[in-house]
Amino acid sequence: MEETAGQTFWQRMQQIPRYYVYLLLAAVVVWQLLMPIRLPIVPSSATTGLYDAIKAAPDDKLIIISTDWDASTQAETGPQTQAVINACFQLKKRFVIMNMQPPMGVKLSNDIALAVGKQYGARYGIDWANWGYKYGYGNVLMALAKDIPKAIGDDFDGKPATTLPLMKGVKDIKSISLVIEITGLSGMTESWIGLIQGPYQVPFASAYTAVMAPGYYPFLDSGQMKGMLVGAKGAAEMEALVKRPGSATTIMNVQSWAHVLIIVLIVLGNVGYVLSRSRRGERAR
Amino acid sequence: MTQGALVLRIVASLVGSFVLLYILHRVLGPRGRRWLIAIVTFAGGLFYGLEWYFPVHGHPAKNFLTDYIEPVSNMLAVVAAFTVGLGIYSLCQVHGRNVARQRPGWYNSLAFFVAMVAMFTFGLWEHYLHLPEPAPAVLPWPKAIYEVLFSGLFVPLQAATFSLLAFYIASAAYRAFRIRSAEAALMMTAAFIVMLGQVPIGAWLTDAIPHTPVLGFFRLEKLGEWVLRWLNTPAQRGILFGVAVGALAMSLRVWLSLERGTFFSEQS
Repeated sequence: MEETAGQTFWQRMQQIPRYYVYLLLAAVVVWQLLMPIRLPIVPSSATTGLYDAIKAAPDDKLIIISTDWDASTQAETGPQTQAVINACFQLKKRFVIMNMQPPMGVKLSNDIALAVGKQYGARYGIDWANWGYKYGYGNVLMALAKDIPKAIGDDFDGKPATTLPLMKGVKDIKSISLVIEITGLSGMTESWIGLIQGPYQVPFASAYTAVMAPGYYPFLDSGQMKGMLVGAKGAAEMEALVKRPGSATTIMNVQSWAHVLIIVLIVLGNVGYVLSRSRRGERAR
Repeated sequence: MTQGALVLRIVASLVGSFVLLYILHRVLGPRGRRWLIAIVTFAGGLFYGLEWYFPVHGHPAKNFLTDYIEPVSNMLAVVAAFTVGLGIYSLCQVHGRNVARQRPGWYNSLAFFVAMVAMFTFGLWEHYLHLPEPAPAVLPWPKAIYEVLFSGLFVPLQAATFSLLAFYIASAAYRAFRIRSAEAALMMTAAFIVMLGQVPIGAWLTDAIPHTPVLGFFRLEKLGEWVLRWLNTPAQRGILFGVAVGALAMSLRVWLSLERGTFFSEQS
């Protein structure tokens, strides 16, 4: 290899300036957003587990969707929420949204439910409701287990939750068929499992950002979680299951090529590293 | 209870609390205050512990403490609300000083005040508008401004800040990931399998492999899931056990006020 300015080609491959890396990544993202190459989405067992749990939920009970996320993780948790709500409407399961932290999540998920509900002609208070932001983590869950109307009080719009037709007959945690926790925060799942799933045997499933999901596989493995959506991939798989490709499917195309770019860069850097090390060894001999 | 009586009760409770706190602050020395906090902490922990472990009866299942969960939770929320106020006060103090003394970057502090006041004003305003359902096609201007501030500025700004991480991760992975040892090579192999298995291109690359029990295992999406479920899970479970034991020990120390490094231990 020819040497330029004291550095070989392979040495330079180890030190590509970071703005070129940023530029390449931006180019890949824009390319896939403008001209997507559709790739197959194969649902994993974790995603089908969540879908099956929604399907198996008794019609006379409510599903709780706890949307504990905000704009920082919206790229993953937003499509997850949308896909889960789509599945609930499609399978004709009544659900309630609630939020414990961060408070922004309750409005963002409310907007999603309103938009998706419009496609199915869903009515607020009958097919779904929003219990709003409830402060207190474990305290809220303990109160919820014993007396739901008392623990919830008012809904997202400030109306007494008991006035909603959906809440008729809802007393305690036995009125809940499934809890789905969608979050970008660690610690929420532990509260749900410790205070609700374990003691009351309420089926539980969850959706996490891809970066935090590996930490929750033990709960899936033990059967404490019926299913799990892993990042945008899980959302795209759910979209495939409900046959409504949305933003997550687009995100996965983009992410596919971004991963390929990162792998190519790592390989280039390593080939450069190995070759320049062997050359140094030859020179030393 | 009428609205007026409720307001009167809230005001009376607030005044009463402040008077009580003031008297306690004057009467108790640092040692007395430390004891008071330790007693309140112990009582709080004991309440939740007893309520959780005490046998329950009837439907809905209750014990003699269950009915007090809601008021105690409300008390907790009120205390937490005071900490929010304390946080805002502290932020105003720091940024107010920056603006008043025109320290370097003082305009950022000014932006904080403008943002806080705007969000506070229009957030409350739109909340009390009580719009009819469905919402009118043309929103009243306070609601429209709130939507611009929240959905048009706050949400995209937060999302954009975190999306920058993708660029840093790409650059950091390229720079830091070098096969310097056998362990590093193993880690890179696992990383490549998971990275490709987690995206549709992995499934596409190994699409030719049939879905049979033996050969299907070598499809990238299956291999990636295997790494996460069979290699990652035991490691994560070990970490979880360690964390749980640590959390239990830490909870006991906090409950019994044995934890050092608190304000009062520093003071004494």
